Amino acid sequence: MPANEVIIKPQNNTSLFQEFIKNSTKSPSRKAQQNFLNIITSVADIIKKICVSEKLIFDVSYDGKKYWQQAKKYQAIFIDGGVYSSFLSSSAPFAIRAKSYIVKPDEVLHKREVFEETVKFVGDLYDADTSLFDLSEDPYEDNQLLTKKKDAARITFETAAIVRHIFEKQKFEYCFLHGPLQTPIMPFSGPEFPLFKKNVIKTILHFFKIDESSDLDRHFINVYLSSINYIKKSKYPIFGIVERTGSTIYLRNLLFVAQRKGLISEADYDKTIGLIKRYKINDGNLFEIILKDCQALRPLEVQKQIPSKAWGEWQNQMDSFPKVFVSYLRTNKNQAPIRVESLSFPKKLAKDFEYILATSKLLPNYGFPAGLDIIDKAAKIPSWLGKTAKGYYLKYYLNLALQSKDPTTITTALKAISDGDRKWKNRPKAGRLPR
Amino acid sequence: MSIVLKKISDPWTSIGTILGQASINDYTFYLKKFKAKKGDIIAAEAKLPTGEGKVIDVIVWGRIMEIISSNDFLPNEATKELTEENINIMDTILPLTKNDSICMVKNLGYTKNSIGEKLVLLPLNYPVAPGGTVKYPANKDLSALLNADMSSKNPIYIGNLVARKDVDVFVSADNMVSRHVLVIGMTGSGKSVWVRRAVRELMQKQYPILIIDPHGDNLGIVQKAKKLFPNHSIKLFYPKISAPKNNREVIFTLIEKLGNKLTEPQYEFLNWLLTNIDYESGTSLLHYINTLIQRANAAAANKRSKSSSGQNGPSHTGASTMGVVSRSLRKVERKLKDMERDNKSNMEKFPHLKFEELPDPYSQPEKIIAKSQVSILYLKGYESLPSSTIVSILLDSLFSHRSAGNRTIPPFFSVIEEAQNFIPSKSEGQSDYPSVSTIKKISTEGRKFGVGLMLVSQRPYRLDETVCSQMNSYIILRLKNERDQRFVKNTMENWDNEEAKQLPNFANGQGIVSGQITNIPLTVQIKFDDDLTNADIGDEDFIADVQNWKESEKNKKKKILSKNLDKVFEADQRRPH
Repeated sequence: MPANEVIIKPQNNTSLFQEFIKNSTKSPSRKAQQNFLNIITSVADIIKKICVSEKLIFDVSYDGKKYWQQAKKYQAIFIDGGVYSSFLSSSAPFAIRAKSYIVKPDEVLHKREVFEETVKFVGDLYDADTSLFDLSEDPYEDNQLLTKKKDAARITFETAAIVRHIFEKQKFEYCFLHGPLQTPIMPFSGPEFPLFKKNVIKTILHFFKIDESSDLDRHFINVYLSSINYIKKSKYPIFGIVERTGSTIYLRNLLFVAQRKGLISEADYDKTIGLIKRYKINDGNLFEIILKDCQALRPLEVQKQIPSKAWGEWQNQMDSFPKVFVSYLRTNKNQAPIRVESLSFPKKLAKDFEYILATSKLLPNYGFPAGLDIIDKAAKIPSWLGKTAKGYYLKYYLNLALQSKDPTTITTALKAISDGDRKWKNRPKAGRLPR
Repeated sequence: MSIVLKKISDPWTSIGTILGQASINDYTFYLKKFKAKKGDIIAAEAKLPTGEGKVIDVIVWGRIMEIISSNDFLPNEATKELTEENINIMDTILPLTKNDSICMVKNLGYTKNSIGEKLVLLPLNYPVAPGGTVKYPANKDLSALLNADMSSKNPIYIGNLVARKDVDVFVSADNMVSRHVLVIGMTGSGKSVWVRRAVRELMQKQYPILIIDPHGDNLGIVQKAKKLFPNHSIKLFYPKISAPKNNREVIFTLIEKLGNKLTEPQYEFLNWLLTNIDYESGTSLLHYINTLIQRANAAAANKRSKSSSGQNGPSHTGASTMGVVSRSLRKVERKLKDMERDNKSNMEKFPHLKFEELPDPYSQPEKIIAKSQVSILYLKGYESLPSSTIVSILLDSLFSHRSAGNRTIPPFFSVIEEAQNFIPSKSEGQSDYPSVSTIKKISTEGRKFGVGLMLVSQRPYRLDETVCSQMNSYIILRLKNERDQRFVKNTMENWDNEEAKQLPNFANGQGIVSGQITNIPLTVQIKFDDDLTNADIGDEDFIADVQNWKESEKNKKKKILSKNLDKVFEADQRRPH
């Protein structure tokens, strides 16, 4: 053996290590992976045939320079929300906003673009005076209800921003929301989910006539329904755009249409649905195989709210929600297609999709509408602001404990702000000099 | 109700807010759009602890070294698409108004911030506070800062700040004439603009000036200044190489270096000649060389004829060795004559200018240096070694008069153009040029005796480092050569890399003024004294020269004869093939 050769001594778990490396390098689940590949390509082939038969695939034209020269006259609004929440033991500081980027390219520079904080709220979810919601019992563990409250608030604020633009007669040719235009709201139908506070509704959707005597008018589902219906009645092209989708909504509805039209049997329909579930095939990975760059699927009308998944009386309300028109658009050669949602079938489908494609082509690698990427960055509540705010909350709490001059209270406060028993404050000290 | 202003900075416009981290030396701030630019001197309102435990309001003055503009909402890949597809960003939905400008500031020092306080700059000992306000100082206050205490230092006006045309800049004439100035910049950067400005201002103070001018860059001053300064004496000299007896080493060096390379015995004979034939102080060098040649020839002849009459040189030196030395001396003589002729023919290009032979600086220094006199030594035509010898002899003589303290001549200021010819760096292999030691001596001792230097060069990296390190003030104009920029960085104390980045971008007459002639380093636009330029002495117009070219009669005849001869040569059948 040469003098400079180094021997790596085997560890205790040699057998697992060796087997694992052997598997990973020589046969990393060959059979399973080959099987997945066969299934997904076969399913894609069948779905493509159905799409072709139903004339669902269409080309979207794009001629960068020429397009923008004529599209510069359109005013567009891009909307996204940003949330900060921190669920501490002593408080739950909460800040939320929906921002709009309103741009009309051919306008003079100082009027050309506006970044607007359309709806905003700052408060504490534990504080009866400053919370968004009425206080309620949390039947869950680990802040589930708080997380739901946060999601409901985000959905409400983003939708409220669109409603406001329509109400205030903001002129625009297009309006885009970063995210689905209608979200499944069944999870919010549980009896524990609280009502929005009266003043919150008055502030964010002041133009809605709320029946003060009816508590249900302040429930998130009803507030959301009112907003969605308001948007549906609007004459403007309003779209929700979703990236990185794991949804199967288009695929399932397409198969359903095919089965209804007799293109596939009911048994095959059921089997295919089962296959999709088992192989985790979704709209994103499937239509990435089917659609080429600058191709789209005609929108399918789908129902997003499933009554059977809602609680009690809310089941009936689910049918009140308008159906959603869902489509996919491939914006470049590298990314999965983006999902496009609207509450009505687009009156000028080709023209509208050309606009969405052109705004996405401005980000040739990302392949997502540039206006939504811009507002995403603008709406986000920066982490430095969140961290600083949290620091102030914790400091204030500790100060209150210190004022009590009770060692137990102080220790408990210290533990509380150290974020749990397993964190730094309570860890055993070893190997270091005391500070 | 009127607001009572308590602080100097109260009426100034706010232009930004200081960002996260600040040090004693520098800080960064967020700039309001278009409210300041690179090079601007700006002010941060701050508080400083005093030695007595108090905290006082101060203005921390700084210079914007760099501005970085960014647009977080404009992804790089969007710009790629715009470029590839030739799309005008104005046609698209991409944002144009979200540009952020972050300025990097180098601190200059602080002054107290209360009305009535004199703006005297003091070294900073505590950083500015993040979140603090940055302001744009009013012209009058900035001017007061830059020129504070200048009245007691004989201020001379040199121009205005590059970044703020309304702010005049003055430098200290006292420090300029006594503590030496280095002026560097590439061709066309404005060295002459600076020299004219400095000379004009010193002339107004009747200060004696000597300009060593190898290329005639300053001849314009002669013609125009005569009209502008009728009471001044403007002298234009051409050189006469002569040396006093006690400084004939320089003559030896010149003969040795201008001649052929000699062997040991040849060098021994040359040395014998130089030692045995006295050089008559003040006489022309050409006359002396001629004497040497005659003596060498005579010695060689004597050797050949084995005559013992006269001085034959060292007994072991052969006639052929002497002959070689004589040839070498003839070469020196020829070279010097050629240079003298070139110098003369260059002078003839300016028939309207009166050139005088340089008086003997030992016996007649007062003819060269006098109150209200500018003396220009025109060296065009002379190679660098003879030029170096001439300058060495001249400056050495004048300096010795000053250092002797006999009041023969007043203090004076020497401007040395093309300084790389007179103080070449060691790497140039010419560090034994006679002018190197003379200028080195003046740079170290001149201050005591009122002999000031202004070295002007376009190739600073070729300058002697020791001399440069003695320069107390710097005028740094446009420099593109990296070696030159490196030289500046190595030579100047407190030189900042950010400052070096500006050097290639300066326009004509723009540069950094730094050192003891100014309170703080400044980026200045030097005033252009166009009334001191002379259109006759600009760049030569060779294209026009060729267009107006007419063949001389002599050339015409020559061509005809050549043609005829060619025919004869062609007819020649006896020519060997």
